[in-house]
Amino acid sequence: MLTFENVSFSFRGGAGVRNLTFEVSPGEIVALVGLNGAGKTTLMRLALGMIRPQQGAARIFGQPLDAVPSATWAKVGALIEVPLAYPELTVRENLHIASLLHGGGRSQRGSGRDSGFVSNRHGSQRTIDGSVVDESVETWRLAPVADRRFRRLSLGNRQRVGLAAALQHDPQLIVLDEPSNALDPASVILLRDQLVQRAKQGAAILVSSHHLDEVARIAHRVLLMNTGRLIGELEITGTDLERAFFERIRDDDERRSETLGASR
Amino acid sequence: MNAAIRVEAQKLVRSPVGVIGSLALVAGTLALLGGITAALASGNPELTAKVGVAATLDWDGLLASAAQITSAGALLGFGVVLSWMFGREFADGTITGLFALPVSRARIALAKLAVYAVWAAAVSVLLTVGILALGLTLNYGAPSAETWAALGRQTVLTILTAAVAAPVAWVATLTRSLLAAVGGAIALVIVAQVGALAGAGGWMPLAAPALWAMSNGTAANPMQLALTVAFSAALVGLTCASWARLQLNR
Repeated sequence: MLTFENVSFSFRGGAGVRNLTFEVSPGEIVALVGLNGAGKTTLMRLALGMIRPQQGAARIFGQPLDAVPSATWAKVGALIEVPLAYPELTVRENLHIASLLHGGGRSQRGSGRDSGFVSNRHGSQRTIDGSVVDESVETWRLAPVADRRFRRLSLGNRQRVGLAAALQHDPQLIVLDEPSNALDPASVILLRDQLVQRAKQGAAILVSSHHLDEVARIAHRVLLMNTGRLIGELEITGTDLERAFFERIRDDDERRSETLGASR
Repeated sequence: MNAAIRVEAQKLVRSPVGVIGSLALVAGTLALLGGITAALASGNPELTAKVGVAATLDWDGLLASAAQITSAGALLGFGVVLSWMFGREFADGTITGLFALPVSRARIALAKLAVYAVWAAAVSVLLTVGILALGLTLNYGAPSAETWAALGRQTVLTILTAAVAAPVAWVATLTRSLLAAVGGAIALVIVAQVGALAGAGGWMPLAAPALWAMSNGTAANPMQLALTVAFSAALVGLTCASWARLQLNR
């Protein structure tokens, strides 16, 4: 569903990611963990076409990103850094425009003309305003603030709106950067349930997080990232995940220092 | 495309920027015209000297003042609103949400410009209606054929002034900065004014519409006005192309 083959990208100044190779398959939740500045967000930006690889190839649904047909993007849901929501609009209005921009304004298996329906991956159809937004408001428990302007929401509610906007069109590929940021415990459980349920329904999910115990509960695999490189997978069956995480990071830093020292 | 237009229209209609921009362009211009008229009626010699051909208390004077205000003030007003429409996505960080969508970014940019064009046309007509109402209120009498023609030129001037603000959309995209785009709007006003004073005349796209409107249509020919339209169309194309190729690599 999402494939990286030796993908590299460097920003001016040298930061970036190198030789990223991994894939996320249907029904799989892959977590990406690493320290701040490890390159997690850059990896996700590469996956969504926000930046182009300087080397290697990123693919979604088997196609290189620069050749993906527009309609295919309707099967992708993402939340990177800032929710797709505008401060002057209410929660419901923001969810409505997110639905429109994700292809909710036309039938995805009909003639392509505006019909007021959106198809989900099960093949059923829902009307845009009649169901998709209402369902989303209910699922993410946004009813008390549904008619409140986005600018007046708390950080946690903003994040829930962003998650609702990213997921309400039932995407088959989900990319979420630190989705549990600012969420209260109840919302974290809600998010966890949503991701597990969507993976069971066949969605491929890539999610970054700082909360090791959280990702251990839902992820099938945990990819470790350090200084712009994927350095392997973290075994999530152990009891002390934080210790295992820091040992792997420290080992990688030491190996890198030795390699740099030897090359000088 | 339809979805992108609906989204952009809702954002502009619901935003304070759209409301304040509309008020500033219509009510602000009318208030300035009323103030100038009151000052002229009081016999203020300094103002009379400054406004030149507009220093008459009749339709000609009113429309000459309106054209002068529009050429500078409306360019700034339209420029600020267009700067916001594009620059806000970068300032608010919502640009990340405009990737990975079935609606391409080029279409989103085109939708922004289409909504801006419709809004600018509505503001232009409203301003002309306001000027007509102001002239009638001031007892300038029923408009003659020449006055109707001047009112038509005023409408075209306002629309073309909105069109020549198009470079700010490109500036916002290239710099990814709302403030840089607003700076670009200010620069456009300065370039247009300096260009007109320096005698660049009708061949300068930024100044041609104002020169045409203020000279009863004699200082700029249709070819020169077409150049203004072509200039704006080129900037629309550049902006859409920049959005299509946009990368968040800095």
